[in-house]
Amino acid sequence: MEPLIGMGVLALIGVAATIAGASEDLESDVGSQSNPNSQVQLAPQMMFPHRIYNKAVSGEPPSNALMCSVGAAVATVLISEFTLSPLFALVIGSLVAACVHGTFAVTSTMGRAASQRRFKQPVYLDMIRSHTPVIMGYSFITTFCVLIVSYLMTVVLGHPFPLTMLAFIWGITVGAIGSSTGDVHYGAEREFQQFEFGSGLNASNSGNIVRYGESGVRNGYDNSWFCAKFGGPVTGIAFGMTVFLGSWVTTIFDPAVSIARGWLSVVAGVVIVLILIIWNWKIEVKARNAFGPYKEDKPEEASA
Amino acid sequence: MIDALMANILWMVFIVVGGVLISWSVHFVPVGGAPAAMAQATGIGTGTVQLAAGAGLTGLVSAGFMMNVTKDLPLILASGAVGAMIMISVTMIVGTWVYVYGVGCVPSSAKVKVDPITKYRQDLYVSQGTEGHGLPTVSFVSGVIGGCLGGIGGALIYYSLIEVGVTAGLAASASSSVTGNELVGIAAMFAIGIFFVNAVIPSYNIGGTIEGFHDPKWKKWPKAVMSSFVATILCAIVAVIAISQLGGI
Repeated sequence: MEPLIGMGVLALIGVAATIAGASEDLESDVGSQSNPNSQVQLAPQMMFPHRIYNKAVSGEPPSNALMCSVGAAVATVLISEFTLSPLFALVIGSLVAACVHGTFAVTSTMGRAASQRRFKQPVYLDMIRSHTPVIMGYSFITTFCVLIVSYLMTVVLGHPFPLTMLAFIWGITVGAIGSSTGDVHYGAEREFQQFEFGSGLNASNSGNIVRYGESGVRNGYDNSWFCAKFGGPVTGIAFGMTVFLGSWVTTIFDPAVSIARGWLSVVAGVVIVLILIIWNWKIEVKARNAFGPYKEDKPEEASA
Repeated sequence: MIDALMANILWMVFIVVGGVLISWSVHFVPVGGAPAAMAQATGIGTGTVQLAAGAGLTGLVSAGFMMNVTKDLPLILASGAVGAMIMISVTMIVGTWVYVYGVGCVPSSAKVKVDPITKYRQDLYVSQGTEGHGLPTVSFVSGVIGGCLGGIGGALIYYSLIEVGVTAGLAASASSSVTGNELVGIAAMFAIGIFFVNAVIPSYNIGGTIEGFHDPKWKKWPKAVMSSFVATILCAIVAVIAISQLGGI
């Protein structure tokens, strides 16, 4: 393939991946999924009933892998058996995946809220009715973008994996990234905004999540509004960078030309990783100076 | 059936080596589980298996792409390692952005007094009521090593399974269609399966959180590696029989 066309396709893949990452994180914020949901689940037991959608279908990676695989399987059947246009097939596949995800979301939040009846946790039907379409909308965007990435990789860049397999792998990856990056913003900051900024959550405050919003009682919309300012976009950048940089090294240094080029691509990848290690170290030093020590060094004080 | 196993004994050894590498790699990945998502524990705020699988499978995508254009084993393994390293280091750097700029806490470890790499004091920077938070340099480097080993392991398993299929007379050429190639599909499926088996076994050692190679829990790796060795032999037998019999159909 022409290197320029390869770069163009790669840019498109990077953009689609960035959108997928951002919408994946916001979907898990509006519906509250993955690790931060442990606090939403804990809150009523600590006598803090709330009005937050409590959807933990599973860990984020498996649930996104399921969504993307369902979408890709439907799209594959439509493309290969019914010779439908790929764009339509991907849209219909994503639509089916969003419906499947919506079903899981409703059953899990109802089950979880109902099982906490003894802690006086109400089942807010209006909240479920209003949040579920948003969750389905976000999951549609995520699935569609992951399918675009997988389709372009399989058909245009000539990756040997089938569409469904690639969608499954990218689903696992987008879930792993969303759960490790954007969810921290939701779990460590948004859920516990009443505590002072600038430290981790004290274990004794577990379950004491913020239940009142800027106006009225806080719900999933308020959480996705807040996380859309930082957690969502950085998740998008993370997934976009992963997909883009992973393919970029082999597009610039094409191993099909010669083995030496292949090794250059490996060297380029290692250089990227080294730069990231140094960047992390710089941020660490900056944070140590900015936030300072939380405790005083007693033995040294005594000796002084 | 026994003939098929004996004919592919070298590839089975490679599969077992790959499985053992994955099992070892998981011990390096700094995962904090659910507490890390609330900045209550050092590491990345997600589960062991999920992160290791996310990194390793990204490496598998890179290795699969590389294998499409070359048959050079070291290059395929290196590209698998690079793919996984890029995924895990991007995840960790963005995680650091969130911990430092979004949550406002210092990357610090609660398991050691000084960072073995940077020699920075850690205990003073752990905020009250937590087990550390964020990703200090030692955890970051440990995660990169984990990604590297996991990527090599996944790529080795995938390469071996493809070779088993090629020996049985199947073709592994790219088809540029959505259904892909049958051998590639089944080899990738088995590689993912074996990856998950070997990513789950070390989680019993880790028990939710590990900070990296400086964590005392890391020293428990021989137990998980031995278990993975046995489990992967069984996986390899099933995978090799299944793929080598496909050639006869």
